[in-house]
This record gives sequence, C-alpha cells and structure tokens, in this order.
Amino acid sequence: MSELLVSERPVPGTPRPYTFPTVVRRSVAGGDVVAAHLPGHNLAVAVLLLDAGAGREPVGREGLAGVVAKVLEEGTTRRDATGYALALEGLGTELSVSVDWDSFQVGVQVPVDRLPAAVELLAEAVRTPRLDPADIDRVRNDEVTALRMYWANPGPRADAALRAALFGVDRRPGRPMDGDPESVAAVTVDDVVAFHAEWLTRAGTLLVAGDLDRIDLDTLAATAFVGASPAAEPAGDPLDLVVPDQRRIVLVDRPGSVQSTLRLGHVAPHRAHPDHVPMTLAATVLGGAFTSRLNHLIREVRGYTYGIRAEFGYSRRFGRFVVSSGVQTAVTAPALVDAVGEITRTRDTGVTEAELAVARSWRAGQLSVELQTPRAIANALATLVVYDLPDDYHASLREALLSATESEVSAAAAAHLYPEGLTLVVEGDAGAIRDDLVASGLGEVVDAG
Amino acid sequence: MPETGYPWPIETTRLDNGLRVVVSEDRSVPVVAVNLWYDVGSRHEPEGQTGFAHLFEHLMFEGSVHVAKTEHMRLVQGAGGSLNATTNPDRTNYFETLPSEHLALALWLEADRMGGLVPALTQETLDNQREVVKNERRQRYENVPYGDAWLRLLPLLYPPGHPYHHATIGSMEDLDAADLATFQAFHTTYYAPNNAVLTVAGDASASEVFELADRYFGRLLPQPDIPPAPDGRVVPATGVPVRQTVTGNVPAPRIYLAHRTHPFGEPGYDVVTVLATVLGSGRGSRLYRRLADGARLAQPDSVSAFGVDLAHGPAPLIITATARDGVTAEQLEAGLVEVVEGLADGVTDEEIERARALLTTAWWRQLATVDGRADVLGRHATQLGDPARAAERLPRWLSVTADQVTELARDLLGGADRVTLTYLPDDAAGVREEAA
Repeated sequence: MSELLVSERPVPGTPRPYTFPTVVRRSVAGGDVVAAHLPGHNLAVAVLLLDAGAGREPVGREGLAGVVAKVLEEGTTRRDATGYALALEGLGTELSVSVDWDSFQVGVQVPVDRLPAAVELLAEAVRTPRLDPADIDRVRNDEVTALRMYWANPGPRADAALRAALFGVDRRPGRPMDGDPESVAAVTVDDVVAFHAEWLTRAGTLLVAGDLDRIDLDTLAATAFVGASPAAEPAGDPLDLVVPDQRRIVLVDRPGSVQSTLRLGHVAPHRAHPDHVPMTLAATVLGGAFTSRLNHLIREVRGYTYGIRAEFGYSRRFGRFVVSSGVQTAVTAPALVDAVGEITRTRDTGVTEAELAVARSWRAGQLSVELQTPRAIANALATLVVYDLPDDYHASLREALLSATESEVSAAAAAHLYPEGLTLVVEGDAGAIRDDLVASGLGEVVDAG
Repeated sequence: MPETGYPWPIETTRLDNGLRVVVSEDRSVPVVAVNLWYDVGSRHEPEGQTGFAHLFEHLMFEGSVHVAKTEHMRLVQGAGGSLNATTNPDRTNYFETLPSEHLALALWLEADRMGGLVPALTQETLDNQREVVKNERRQRYENVPYGDAWLRLLPLLYPPGHPYHHATIGSMEDLDAADLATFQAFHTTYYAPNNAVLTVAGDASASEVFELADRYFGRLLPQPDIPPAPDGRVVPATGVPVRQTVTGNVPAPRIYLAHRTHPFGEPGYDVVTVLATVLGSGRGSRLYRRLADGARLAQPDSVSAFGVDLAHGPAPLIITATARDGVTAEQLEAGLVEVVEGLADGVTDEEIERARALLTTAWWRQLATVDGRADVLGRHATQLGDPARAAERLPRWLSVTADQVTELARDLLGGADRVTLTYLPDDAAGVREEAA
C-alpha cells in the first residue's frame, strides 16, 4: 500500500506576506473612529467601544455591566422592545453586546448598504434606552436565573475559587468577571441608571470594518457620538500582585461528578508587559497547542482527559496564568502531579528549539488565518484601542513572534511560571478524591469558602 | 434578491480513482482552506459497531505510513494552521486552514492518512483513543446538565434500524468489544478516494490544486464495494406522539419538542430553515415574543428553534425552552405547543422579511472565511452531487413564502408526530423554594 503514497514531505512554497488592512483614524464629533478597509466584502461591522467594562463596576455589584447590556434591548425612548427588535432584525442583525474587564462593546453586522441604518439603531439603544424600572427588575431577575443555570455547570465555581485565591475577594479581579447569582441579585434600578449615566453617555470609539469605499465614516460617527460627553480618565495603573510562597489545593465539592474540573493558576503580568510575546510562546509550548507538553502527556500518553490547556490571561491592569482541564475522577491526583511536573520542568529547563519553532510559526500563521472576516478585523481594532497599541501592531507582532529566540522564551518561562506558588482548584466529588489529594503531597487541602 | 449565493469561481475535476476535487480561488488573503468530506457517518454503522465513524475522527490524527503519531497536528500547527474534524450521522469531515505556501503539506498529510492509516494503526493507539473518546463522552454529555438531550432525541425520533436511530458518539461497549482488525477493515472500506470530496478554497489556482491532488492522491486505489447505509429517506408517521421525561441534576425544567421534517437539500428543508428562523431566531421571533416576553414562561436566553442539516432522512427540527422560576414543565410545554401549532394558522409577510434579512447575514457570515466556503462546497458536492448547488441555497431561502411556511407547519408540526423530551430537577420543590 505504501508505494501508492508519496513518502517525501513537501517543502513550503514562497510565503505571500499577510498585510493587515489600512487603519483609518479620525476624530469626529468628540469621539474617535478607528476603521479598516476591506474591499469587496458583502458584510460590514460597526462596534461602539466604551470604557465601561467590569473594572468600572462598584464592589458587590459584579455583573452590573452585564445587566445594563441586556437592558439596552428593552426598548428606547422612541419604541418598545419588540418594535426595536423588529427594526434591527429587519436589517439582518442582532445587537451584539459584550463586556470584558476593560470594555463594553455594542456591535452590528449587516450588508454594507444597511450599515447607516444599523448604526442609528445601535446608537438609539446605547444613548437613549428606555430604562423602565419594571423592565430593569425583570431583566436583573432573568440574569440571576441565567447565572444560576450557568453555575450549575462544572467550571464557574472552580474559576471563582481560583480568582478569589489569586486576587482576593475584596478586589474586583478576585470576583468573577460576569458576577455571580448573588452579586447580580443585589443590582438595583438605581445602579443600572447610574452606570448608564456615568459610562454609556461618553463618546468612546467607533470601530468600523468593511468596504470603506461604500461607507461614510463621518456620518456614522456623527450618529454614534451626537450629544455624548468626553471620555473618562483611564482606570489606573497595573495592580501590585504577589505570588504566594506555598502551593495549596482548594477543593470545591461537586458530589457525584464523573470528572474533576481543574483550574490551576497564579497571578501574572498585565497585557502591556514587555515580556508579552515570549510569555505567550512559553505558554503555547506548555499548553497552548494540541502538541503541547500538557496535552501530550495527560491526554495522549495517560488518557486522563479530553483536553488540557495552559495560557496567560491578560487585561490592562492584571493578568494570570491558568491551566484548565477536566479529568476522570479516579485519576485526579495523578493528573495534578503530572501537570505540576510539566509546569516545573518548563520553568526549570525552558523550551526546546523544536517546540518553539512550532509555537512561533503557529502563532504567527494564526494571525493571517484568523483575521479574515470583518468581525475578526473589528476585534483586532478593539485590541489596538483598549491596550493603546500602534496601528502597525499586528504586522510587528508577527515579526516579534517569528524572531523570538529559545533563550528569550526560556527566560520568560523561568521568570513568569511559579509552580511552587500555584493554587490548584479541584471541583469534583470531594468524598471520592479528598484522601488522594491529601496523599499527593502537592499542598495543603482546603475547602472552598 | 441576489442572483447567486456563491459569487466566487468553482472548478471541479475527478481523478481516475474517483476522488472529486473542488477548487474555489480567492486571492484576497494569503490563506488556503483544505476540507475533505468522507461520505461515512454513524448512519453506516451496523448494530454492534456504533461509535466507529467518530472514533476514526480521533484515529486519523494518530499517524499513518509517513506521519508519526500526533505529527499531523504538529506539522499543521507548525505551519501556522488551524485544523479539526467533525463527525455526524451523515458524514465525517477533516479540515485545515493554513498560510497558502503550505497547501502541498496539507494535501500530502490528507493523502497519507487516506491511503496509509491502516499499516500504522496499533493496538496501543486504538486503546488510548478509546479512552479519549470515553473522556469526551463524560465531558460533553454526562457531566453537563441537559448534555445528553441529543443522545436521547435521536432514538425517540427514528425507529430501531433507522440509520439515525443511534447517536454518533456511539456505545462505549461496542468500541471496547471490537478488535484492531475490525477497525482496520472499517477504514479500508470507507476511507477511499471514491468516497470523498476534496475542496480547496482561497489562495490557490485550480490548475495548481488539480496537479497537487493528482500527485498525492492519484495513485490511491478506489474501493469497489462500499456498502451503502440503510435507506432512511422515509420514516412512516406513526400517528402516536412520543414522550420521555428525565428527572436529574438540572437547575430548571426544560422542554425539547422535535419533529421529523425533510432531508437537507430538498425544497421542503429550505422552508424548514425559514420556519425555524421565524419561530426561534432573535428577540423578534415568535418564541421570544410569546414565551420570553409575553407570557413570560421561558428564560429569555433559553428559547430556540433550529433544523439539524441531515441529508439522508427527514431532518429534525428541534424547539426548546427552559422554564422561568416558578413555571412548571406543564405550563412551559403548553406554551411551546401553542406557539408551534400557531404557525399553521399563518405567518405574516413581515415575519418572512425579518427571517430573510437574518438568513442573508448568516449566509454571508459563513462565506466570509475560506474555511466556511470550503465546507459549504464540500457539503453540496457530497450530499447534492454538485458544489455549484451552494449558489442556490440563499436564493432558495429568500424565495420561501409565508404560505409555504404555513403549509409545512400544517403538514409536519402536528401533535401526533411530535417527540417531547422533558427534563425535571430531581428536587423540583427545592428549586422553586430557592427562587422565592
């Protein structure tokens, strides 16, 4: 049979360089426009990006921004919720609203000729929502229910326990980004009205990705920014974060669970840290690609899991290193020993050139593979705005990834991985795994508070 | 209305061994998508061999004659590419998207595992991947509230012996019981060039792709006797509704209503696509307006209706909602049934216009990537015999009328042909108490 196959692996052809679309920046009507020209695309995307992320929420009201996001679709001063939905969906789009630590984004995606009408409706919802107290109460209650449903899945409780251990429950990053059922239940009508008045009435940035030959940016910007107030001061400097000197295990009981959900982590630098590229590559070798050390050992060799990954998560003011997986209950302790072992090995002996070659070209290639659509380009523009990056950022990131050396990446692994300071959160059947966890010697076992 | 839903070029050829090759050139980004549809899915699995098609989705990444175990992943990711594979009742597909200078690598890898998997398949690999699949089953179906709904709906919708009766993930007992030779025979039978469509979309010319396809796949031998799956095109209506109630570890009551409709590709299924959008997509849909707003029986993010695009039998339409606090499963079911049966009393032109606008955006969104295009072309070539039929999908959706939707609802969405799957929290009283 093998003589029917070609034995020689082909060599690559000549690469055609990827060019990020030209970035157009304008200041119009007190706000900023950041746009990318995508000739020939049928669809266009517009996103209003506001400095109103989870980091702006008051203590004890985590999830408030998410409630505000839902309330925007409960009608405007001009029309009720159904009338608004029919107008928007009649253009072929729904409102895409997302909240992360650093931003509040409201977007539409439509055939190019419908973009002006869609941005008018977008601005109508953001700038002039109805904010009827009865609607706010109902939406808040629905959000509590939705969160309660979500928290019945494995994962959210483990992640909350890890955040609390890393950042402390008294600080915003120590609480779940989207809040939990209790914090959302505490949100009042006044909270919603005040958050809107403080943060959603500011001009912000309008991101546009599409065929700019067919789009009038000034008109879109005037629609988005009319009557808006100036931007707020940035939220502040990166937080001072400390890795503990003792590893420990935090056990979250999930009786009867057939898997243990693992979240292992420690604090890490914020997004703008100069080691960003070598840290990303080190995490790719450790647990970012299918052929990474963690996935190879724990899925392919041991057969403990369907998948395991490691990554650095970043925001403007903080970051964290986290390993995520779900493993069979009976092998929880050995899986943890293996995972800590691979993190330690990576910290101590760094990466090999062969592994790094895969990580480098994968991350660089992914830039061109992923940045095909108006939606993906709009997300890339958001990255530029949120982290104050230059317009050639994506082009230079590619170069930085491809030129990172083995010693730089190994040095980043040594500097930013702390296997002895890990918090090992295990969400699983405590009765079945507690003794094994204690016997593993990985660290003191405490129950999640 | 657009003349065509596929404005890019499509060129096709067929190698002497039967492999169909489809190319759609677009030079706007230096990226190329490679997509292989094999016409083998869980519908081909005889009794006692369930889960085989899906297990191959795993084994195909574990090495072949010239590619070491897991080297496939390393080479594609090392080339900057993304890759994955999926299995469903109809078919199995394998795909990668890479910077275009690595096109030959992708074709070489795909050819090696099409023609050279069997000699490389070891007992150790087989045992290891059986364990991975068991972990997948735990993670995706067993450890998640409502996670087994799809596994339960299929046998309720399709009778024993029907090719869609069993779920694609299959039986772990069947996987454990089979020996290495049985799996090798499965690959030899179905992973043949004359049972596959190779599609390449993006930064490559047709002549270049045809030449590379011939170089790497051209000498593979066709398989003369590929047994067809059992014929499942007709499922006689029983006239008897089917119900199943599951009491378990779920946070709130949830209802699934399911109906058998038309196979994907038939005009009736395009009507189903529009009907599902009218019924369940967006805040302007009937389900949202009447159950999430309106009577406030359902949790707002929980309502949906969708067709599952299966082509070799009457494809399912699935309608689902989860109860709001204090609402019982009975109340929710009555509300859902009223909305579904109300379609037979007529839908408005405004509802059709809204569905057309949403479907137009959804179609162009899928075709915005070269990988989305390759998959659409592979589907139409494999299931409808001609990739160019991709161009008819959007115009057909846009030509569906309110009367056609109403008529389909009358014909197919009656109570006598309905499957109802209900999930109840195992301590329903406790859940309601907590909400108070």
